[in-house]
Amino acid sequence: MAIGLRHFAERTGSGVGRPVLDDSDGEELMHVQEGVSIVLGSRPAESHGTIYITSRQVIWLSDLDSNKGYAVDFFSISLHAVSRDPLAYPSPCIYAQIDIEEDECEEDESEGLESEFDTGPLELSKIKEMRLVPSDPSQLDRLFEVFCECAELNPEPVDDEEDHDWVFSADQMEADGLEEEDSAWNLSGNHTDCIGHSNGHHDLAQTVLQLEINDKRFEDAEETERDNNGHQ
Amino acid sequence: MLFFSYFKEIVGREVVVELKNDLAIRGTLRSVDQYLNIKLENTRVVDQDKYPHMMSVRNCFIRGSVVRYVQLPPDGVDIELLHDATRREARGG
Repeated sequence: MAIGLRHFAERTGSGVGRPVLDDSDGEELMHVQEGVSIVLGSRPAESHGTIYITSRQVIWLSDLDSNKGYAVDFFSISLHAVSRDPLAYPSPCIYAQIDIEEDECEEDESEGLESEFDTGPLELSKIKEMRLVPSDPSQLDRLFEVFCECAELNPEPVDDEEDHDWVFSADQMEADGLEEEDSAWNLSGNHTDCIGHSNGHHDLAQTVLQLEINDKRFEDAEETERDNNGHQ
Repeated sequence: MLFFSYFKEIVGREVVVELKNDLAIRGTLRSVDQYLNIKLENTRVVDQDKYPHMMSVRNCFIRGSVVRYVQLPPDGVDIELLHDATRREARGG
């Protein structure tokens, strides 16, 4: 899910270095732009940086402090645009909105902070807006196009895994439910159902567990069993 | 793919794109791709008081997954055609 901005400090090479990319997962460097300031939310601009646009994320690295850098995945960028109106921001820039996981209870607090010029402690995960200000404004249109291309490389993942999670937890709930019923008193009826449904180790383990429970009760539950058989 | 085809037909028309964060942007639809990412030109934010930073923006790229609604030009919709197409799509044809 959207995780917003994060710190980025993994650099390679000499001098201020370059960002370490995840080559093994096919991450490619698409564009480099030197002389770019970054503005996070309504914080003051941080200048003297270089942006690296990869097939997956935008990374800004400070040219002065090799420990300072930020990154945001294209997954988390809801919107990007070229901003040229000096009334909105003194310098032409790339403006981006960042999708963050809203924390309902803290929302008011963070909005209060954003309305003022914010110099408090930096909480990257709450930053909703980012501006990238190149010292050469003629690069803006090119940057915008690269942003577009890379955003298109990052469509929403198909939620296969999430689906599996759902099925799995539903199974588990069902199995738990059966077990509970079992311990109450219902014996052979549910038992058959459980075997009928079983697929995979998890269910098998549940079945064995239930068998054991049933065995214990078997000795002093003749009447119950007969009742149950009667219902079948 | 149905809505991708549909949106391609109304490129050049004015639409209002409403995002899941309640921001609504009016603009000329410049392009759309298969993920329903949307590029707008001549944009105006509908509620400028609430989103002053967006006032300066004249063109923008909106990630398809953050779009809640797209308000269409009333005469840009052939309802019969769209009905038929959605039925065909539902049948998997």
